[in-house]
Amino acid sequence: MAFAVDLLGRKAKVEDCPSLVSEEKYKANYEKLSEMIGPVGDVTETGLIVHEDKCIGCGNCVVACPVNVANDPLGAGSGKAPSSEKVIFKVEDGVVKARNVQECRRFGENKILCVACIDTCPTKAIEFV
Amino acid sequence: MPLFLFLNVGDDLSEYYVCTGCALLCDDIEVETEDNKLTRVHAACLKGVARMKACSDPMECRVDGEKADIDSAIAKAAAILKNAKNPLIFGHGNSSSQAQKVAIGLARKTGAYIDDTSSFCQGPIVEAIVQDEFKTCTLDDIRHKADVIIFWGADPSNSHPRHLSRYSYFPRGKERQRGWEEDRTAISIDVRKSDTASICKDHRFYQIPMGEDAQFMEALLSALSGKVPKTSFDFDKKRILELANVLKKAKFGVICVGLGLVYSLEELEPLFKLMEKLNEVSNFHIMPMVGQYNMRGFNQNLFAETGYINRLKFNAETGETEHGAKYSVVEALRNRSVDAALVIGSDPLSSLPLSVARYLAEIPLITIDPCQSLTATRSTVTIPCALGGVESGGTAVRMDGVEIELKKIVETDNLSDEEILTRITEAI
Amino acid sequence: MGFGQFLAAPEIKLKISTYRDVFQNTAQESSRFGEEYEDLSAIIKLDPKDISKLSIKEGDTVIVKNAFGKVVVVARRSEYEEGHPGIAYMVNSPWSNALVPEETGGTGVPKFKNFEVTAQGAKSEKVTGIKEIF
Repeated sequence: MAFAVDLLGRKAKVEDCPSLVSEEKYKANYEKLSEMIGPVGDVTETGLIVHEDKCIGCGNCVVACPVNVANDPLGAGSGKAPSSEKVIFKVEDGVVKARNVQECRRFGENKILCVACIDTCPTKAIEFV
Repeated sequence: MPLFLFLNVGDDLSEYYVCTGCALLCDDIEVETEDNKLTRVHAACLKGVARMKACSDPMECRVDGEKADIDSAIAKAAAILKNAKNPLIFGHGNSSSQAQKVAIGLARKTGAYIDDTSSFCQGPIVEAIVQDEFKTCTLDDIRHKADVIIFWGADPSNSHPRHLSRYSYFPRGKERQRGWEEDRTAISIDVRKSDTASICKDHRFYQIPMGEDAQFMEALLSALSGKVPKTSFDFDKKRILELANVLKKAKFGVICVGLGLVYSLEELEPLFKLMEKLNEVSNFHIMPMVGQYNMRGFNQNLFAETGYINRLKFNAETGETEHGAKYSVVEALRNRSVDAALVIGSDPLSSLPLSVARYLAEIPLITIDPCQSLTATRSTVTIPCALGGVESGGTAVRMDGVEIELKKIVETDNLSDEEILTRITEAI
Repeated sequence: MGFGQFLAAPEIKLKISTYRDVFQNTAQESSRFGEEYEDLSAIIKLDPKDISKLSIKEGDTVIVKNAFGKVVVVARRSEYEEGHPGIAYMVNSPWSNALVPEETGGTGVPKFKNFEVTAQGAKSEKVTGIKEIF
């Protein structure tokens, strides 16, 4: 149970359990767990993850993000290419890249459950874990 | 609005280019280059980046299967067209307006059939628009004014990825300062829950059976006229009445017409009637969801010269034109009316039904394209051309009729489509 | 090897509707003759009920044919919430265009988005390559 808690809290990796890795009878469980925990591996400190293989570069998240709109109203906030460095999302080579994620309204002092980028994504490429 | 008026904080001299991935012609694209290739493309969507970064199998210059120099290929192409009694010049949607005009001249000179993809695609809608039979607007109008946007048989999330973020739903506009959050309603009418339908709120997605768009339109028409909307497939009457109310209250409505709708309608009459009623009780516009970056340009260029947007045959002696379904690329191939073909920037062996396109392999065939294609594999002459908007400039017409200037970004040894067509014309 | 090898695979009638997929389109821009384009194009999205009727598993190859053409593609389970037995979805591609009827009623517009086929499990037959379609 303690291992499970540590896994979910990202304090441990699946590979930290030697029996899981080496014993044949646990092979299916090991694979299943690796699959489940895998995506979490790429997560930034803030929990934002962009699944690049699902992203189509549509720019919906770029224009919908309230931080983008506030910091770059005539660029990203108007659906155009960003003109400010202070944006959270921008599209590069056809997929969205997240940066300055600490500016996201879900964090910081006044936490809001903002779901703009999640709700506007047509392929569910953005997740907060 | 052109973006060169636009201040770029933190960057030095930013140059913006135009993406030719689709008919949105996004003009806010920054690029990084190395060795005459694009290494990074900013702001363009996945499909646009793939277009701009070019393909991995470029077209080769060949005559009768053997590698050839450009002059021999052009000479052979000219000979094929000159000797043909009924040549066909097809494609055009991926060419600059300048190249298209040369192609029209070539068709005139050789007494050719000339047609583009609109012939089996958005033709009827574009034709109605250039003939002033539908009220239309620009994409910028949509961004600044539209409060109700219907995607009918259209799935821009897959065909024009930046449509909703640049113009039709998400961004704030002059009269829609709160954008998608409060000022706009996006509606999807489709036979399946497409990716675009998933973005519209659940109760704004209307799923209708295949082929029943005309019936749904009639039901909507009834609802708009205060009558009970009936359909043979028992669509929830309350929902149709509610939709009619939303449309009535629109200050600036748009119907983005996709191929799902165009292919479902046997004729445009139901759409004309709906638009007439909508403009009686409200204010609605049509936006054709054109695919290729300059298909509308071809339609407008041909219309300016001949009064028709596609499906033409020129008479070489009299210069007169004949027009109609009989002269469309599909019927010309079905009926074997043509005896040679020049295909430019298109791959009919991929995009037309094989049952129709296979005839192309039986006649002398010339393909002009930056990339290898199925049609090229069966061609007598293949000529590589510069990639529009990247290796050559010119102008193109966006889906809404606005003309956009393309810029050359990198150098190439390949001639532009305009140059190739001009040389072929001169050689005849 | 059981008795099943001697039984003909069940055949069902389907109506095909075609759609656009941005990933497949992107692969087409990069490499029309590549593996990715084939993987994303040579597929048919079926309602789970139709998958059962065909006695196949998701990922098996199926023969899809009509009077105009025949292709072997991969069967996938469709993700649409609303069931659609009898209707299958194919992305607009040379594979789907191999099946579009030649009939146009003289209009110049083929029925790209609404045509009929029969489908049958292809057992071990491989997916039709793009150059094999013609």
